[in-house]
Amino acid sequence: MKYMILTYASQQDYDGMAGKAAGEPAWSAEDFAAMGAFMESFSRDLAESGELVETRGLAAPVHARRVQLHKGVPVVTDGPYAETQEVLAGYWIVECDSFDRATQIAARLAKVPAPEHVAARAFADVRPIAESQADLEL
Amino acid sequence: MIEAVPGTEVEDLLRRLAPQVLGAVVRRYGHFDTAEDAAQEALLAAAVQWPHEGIPDNPRGWLITVASRRLTDLLRSEQARQRREDTVARWALPGQWLAPAADRPAAESDDTLILLFMCCHPALSMASQIALTLRAVGGLATAEIARAFLVPEATMTRRISRAKQNIKDSGTPFRMPPGPERAERLAAVLHVLYLIFNEGYAATSGPSLQRTELAGEAIRLARMVHRLLPGDGEVAGLLALMLLTDARRSARTGPGGELIPMAEQDRSQWDAAYIAEGVALIVGALPRGATGPYQLQAAIAAIHDEAPTAEATDWPQIVALYELLMRISDNPMVALNHAVAVAMARGPQAGLDLLTELAADQRIAPDHRLDAVRAHLLEMAGDKLAAREAYLAAARRATNIPQQRYLHARAARLTDGQ
Repeated sequence: MKYMILTYASQQDYDGMAGKAAGEPAWSAEDFAAMGAFMESFSRDLAESGELVETRGLAAPVHARRVQLHKGVPVVTDGPYAETQEVLAGYWIVECDSFDRATQIAARLAKVPAPEHVAARAFADVRPIAESQADLEL
Repeated sequence: MIEAVPGTEVEDLLRRLAPQVLGAVVRRYGHFDTAEDAAQEALLAAAVQWPHEGIPDNPRGWLITVASRRLTDLLRSEQARQRREDTVARWALPGQWLAPAADRPAAESDDTLILLFMCCHPALSMASQIALTLRAVGGLATAEIARAFLVPEATMTRRISRAKQNIKDSGTPFRMPPGPERAERLAAVLHVLYLIFNEGYAATSGPSLQRTELAGEAIRLARMVHRLLPGDGEVAGLLALMLLTDARRSARTGPGGELIPMAEQDRSQWDAAYIAEGVALIVGALPRGATGPYQLQAAIAAIHDEAPTAEATDWPQIVALYELLMRISDNPMVALNHAVAVAMARGPQAGLDLLTELAADQRIAPDHRLDAVRAHLLEMAGDKLAAREAYLAAARRATNIPQQRYLHARAARLTDGQ
């Protein structure tokens, strides 16, 4: 069974990671390096256990484009998110035995090293992947 | 220990990397207008740091990283401001974006060409196309471009930001123009490079006749396009034309900055390396199918450059080439040059007859060059009085001081001779 583990961050969080204090303290170089090392080993463990299907991190939210219909015409909005809005920042697709196992994997993310104010509001979501249209009709 | 790097070496490298860096950033993140500012800031940072700290192992990667970071910063404050002012950046998706992308995947080297196509977009005025090309592809700073065109920096800044806004508004996606449009757009690019060269070679205003940096920059950019499109005869022709013309640069003005006509130039001063390169290019390009105007002009320049003296020039051949050129381009300057060649091949009266016809063309009738040519031909024919009048008429119409001085000197010489 496949699950997606999703993590979130705001533009403000991305700024902090890039070493810019944007309304709250910036990450130190050590904080950032420790986070990077943790994520690497997290993904490596999943790859080694054979559970990792794919993982990606996303560029800062300012680079997002939103496409939607506006009066019947497709319209693009540059940077559609507010600065403090938590948006998708990265994901893992894992293939494992159960929802509980996927949740166990996601729970490891609670240990990701980060400045206290960031760790306090961080969360990860786990969602089962619908493999077909039939899955959606359940 | 880090070795200091000569500033010129850094500058050459940065100018070469400039379009690649901007291309990579726009391809990945869009926002041509803001990305262009970000790329310039990255180049500036490198120009300050590298001479002291050394060139990084991967200079292109370094610049792309710094430019991307700067773009993120710029977008962040831009978007924050827009949200404060409640002006969300929204743009209608142009119809062409909804069509399936049938294009082949782009090669890295295409980025520079795509940027050139964007800078020479038909939505921009010619002056804007030139300015933006020099900045976004040439990597020149706005202040340098302003200096080269003798306009205040604030004027050039406005011109460039307006150009970028127009490109944004046009919704042009960052990709190669589709097949049939490409040839047309390439012609626009070559025209812009040709104008940059001409502006450098024969400044249209001001005290300095040759702003050699502009001519040098046009040659550098033409070389770049030739490297990207080695099989294109007109690209080769344009590069050859520039080299064969620029070869005569140092012989073209005297010690006081005065103009020396080709017939009186010291041909030993012509740049033999440029001539050899230009001739090789044009000889290679001519047999390759359709012959365009740049190839014909280059072929004419090559005949001049290879002649030991003005008299020993193959004028009938030049007349024939101008006639071919007149058939494909309705340009009165071509007709004027044709008249000169005819005079050299068949005598001044044959040339003067052609000038009489040409004087009816309002595009050239007010131009000082028509009077100047008439003056030369009248002088050749021995009619000193009429020649003097024509030189003075030309001097009144010329806008560039060395040209005026030259024409007055010719007129004065005829007076003294009497």
